[in-house]
Amino acid sequence: MISFKNATVEYQPGVKAMDNLNLEIKEGEFVVVVGLSGAGKSTLIRTINNLVPLTSGELYVDGEAVHDLSRKKMRALRSRIGMIFQGFNLVDRATVLQNVLMGRVFKLPTWRTVFGAYPKKDQQVAAQALNRVGMLDRAYSRATDLSGGQRQRVGIARALAQEPKVILADEPVASLDPPTSHAVMQHLQKINQDLGITTIVNLHFLDLATAYGERVIGLREGKLVFDGPGSECTEEVFEGIYGRSLTAEDTLSEEA
Amino acid sequence: MSELSLPKKAIDWFRNITTLAIVVAVIWSLIGLEIRWERLIDLPADLFLIGTLMFGNLDIADFPNLAGAMWESISIAWVGTLIAALFAIPLSFLAAENLVGRPIAWVIRQVFNILRAVPEVILAIALIPIFGLTPLTGVLAIGIGSIGTLGKLFYEVIESIKKNPLEAADAVGANKLVRFRWGVLPQVMPEMTSFVLYRFEVNIRASAVMGLIGAGGIGNDVALALRFKDWEVAGMGLLIVILGTILVDAISGAARKRIIKGTQAKPIELAEV
Amino acid sequence: MTASKVELPKKPGIPGAIIFSLVFAFVLTVVTMITVEFSLTEILTNFGRRNLVADGLFNPDFGQILSERSLSAFIETLQLAVLGTVLGGGMSMFMAYWATEFGNPIRWLRAIVRTFNNVVRSIPDLLWALLFVTAVGIGILPGLLALFFFSMAVVTKLTSDTLDGIDMGPIEAAKASGSGLISMLRTAVIPQILPSYTSFVLYGFELNLRASAVLGLVGAGGIGSRIEFFRSRGDWSEVWGLVLMFFLVVFLVERFSVTIRRRLV
Repeated sequence: MISFKNATVEYQPGVKAMDNLNLEIKEGEFVVVVGLSGAGKSTLIRTINNLVPLTSGELYVDGEAVHDLSRKKMRALRSRIGMIFQGFNLVDRATVLQNVLMGRVFKLPTWRTVFGAYPKKDQQVAAQALNRVGMLDRAYSRATDLSGGQRQRVGIARALAQEPKVILADEPVASLDPPTSHAVMQHLQKINQDLGITTIVNLHFLDLATAYGERVIGLREGKLVFDGPGSECTEEVFEGIYGRSLTAEDTLSEEA
Repeated sequence: MSELSLPKKAIDWFRNITTLAIVVAVIWSLIGLEIRWERLIDLPADLFLIGTLMFGNLDIADFPNLAGAMWESISIAWVGTLIAALFAIPLSFLAAENLVGRPIAWVIRQVFNILRAVPEVILAIALIPIFGLTPLTGVLAIGIGSIGTLGKLFYEVIESIKKNPLEAADAVGANKLVRFRWGVLPQVMPEMTSFVLYRFEVNIRASAVMGLIGAGGIGNDVALALRFKDWEVAGMGLLIVILGTILVDAISGAARKRIIKGTQAKPIELAEV
Repeated sequence: MTASKVELPKKPGIPGAIIFSLVFAFVLTVVTMITVEFSLTEILTNFGRRNLVADGLFNPDFGQILSERSLSAFIETLQLAVLGTVLGGGMSMFMAYWATEFGNPIRWLRAIVRTFNNVVRSIPDLLWALLFVTAVGIGILPGLLALFFFSMAVVTKLTSDTLDGIDMGPIEAAKASGSGLISMLRTAVIPQILPSYTSFVLYGFELNLRASAVLGLVGAGGIGSRIEFFRSRGDWSEVWGLVLMFFLVVFLVERFSVTIRRRLV
């Protein structure tokens, strides 16, 4: 499904956010990526939909060579990859439904999107997506009127409305409180299990990573330093990934 | 206790030179201007006299005519502001460095700067020989004159938009137009509308004086009344200008508050206009 | 997705306030356009026609500014702007102070000051000039008075908005340490507002400079009287020469003033 071959991203000469990465992710997997901030988690996720291009190496996503795509094909690929952001990235002054329908834009003629004239069929897809995250009754609320957890659920619904093959989630719970964080993670897990969408989640909190990650990938200075099931992730493993001993800030729950 | 010495205070050259420059400019102006200061002694008495003449016996019969003239002034300001907005909106997107390249933005900004420097009255003077002593002259003067200020306010709003919705639009595979429609427009529309209203308030004042040079509106009536010492009419006219301006300010100001409510928009900084 | 069909909640109607605003704006636009006899064809045909004004614009006489009378009128304009701003800006400090709660605890007196400020602010620059020309006759004194009131109005408004928003903590601290009014102002109020106040005065100067160019149109001195002179004779080359040169200077002064204002705040 996704495969990195000697992939490297260099922001400035000598500053590598991804260093010669080789990685295979199979269809339907639920992968959690951990590492310190600056370890290249965000870069890894953004290379997959080409928001960050590779400097060298190869990357194949859903049969497309991402490192060598025309603009048109790149947008087509992006439409098959849903993305969930730390800051939600909603259009604040638009309604929840308008935000979710953003997920349909690639499949529709531009004029329909510009005037907000979405066909019934696409509205139904959006409604299904909202229903799945329990936000259907707020369809006509403005995004600004929602709480953080609700906004992230709208973010998930927008990604779902794309009917994607892959969902990328970049620190989806970093701006949320602990109970809300679990709710959001459970939504993502359930979507992965029900719909079989390949899901890649960046996480900062190690207890969340072990709880939800079928497969955990550890990054350090852009290099792959761990790859294994979440159940195998002991404290020692994480200390190896972080290169330091763990602190209370590395976990979501109070006791650590 | 031994004596402590404070660290040496740095000399603020910027401040000293600015202060000196201002003092020199003021002295130069005081000496240079041949003002008959002694006229000031009579000024309060004169003002009082004119005030009594103007407001002492206001005649309500003058009201309808002058109120109509004020309405013409308001109309000139509104249509002029809309014309300015019509030009300023597309131009301001070309002046925003986050949407277009620096060279294009720079050129458009200089156009704004030039338009901003010239007062509407000067523009009206130039337009009178072409359009005659009609309200349309005032409309165009205000329309052309406001493009610069509105454009500047607009591109500052555009440059302050958040990048997050744009990133989301990119991530769903949106093309440029869709990106603009959902990533940029919703973020800038409320502020832009509010700036148009604000400029309308400013333009009421500009249009009220258009008539002094014959370009339509209530200024014409007031100027003529003062010239022919028709004091009651001048007084009523002045009163209507003041009340009309304050009334429009209040309505437009309330509308602006409603539009901006619930957003984190910065208040309009007059000092930047 | 195999999920069964779900119903979106009922779409709420467009709020009444928005419909009202849109209808209001539309009607306002139509009515005002009729009032000003707006005509696109007239605009297009008139702009397309060759005219003396445009001829003058394309052939401006830049040398005119150096002629003795124009040059002295030009300097007079600059001096008027400087003096009008200094006096108006100085006065506005008091007007703004008296409009605040801590500067003027008596409620009705404060209301009077605020109303006065609003009235002064609603009268445009050129109308001030005309009023003072009527009161003291043609000359530069009415020009100076007009600029005084005009800049006072603008700076007062901006300064009192700033005063309303200052941190009351230092004021309390000053009062608590037993300082009198003057030392309270000196230590707790002025440091808070001085940078913005200075920048407002500079802004007032920019406005006055632009306004001073048109004062002469109603007989209140400065370069405007020269512009009016050439306009009445139909010498558009001279008119444009003066206007362009003057606004080149305005433009330069403004850039300079904006730079200083940026450094202040």
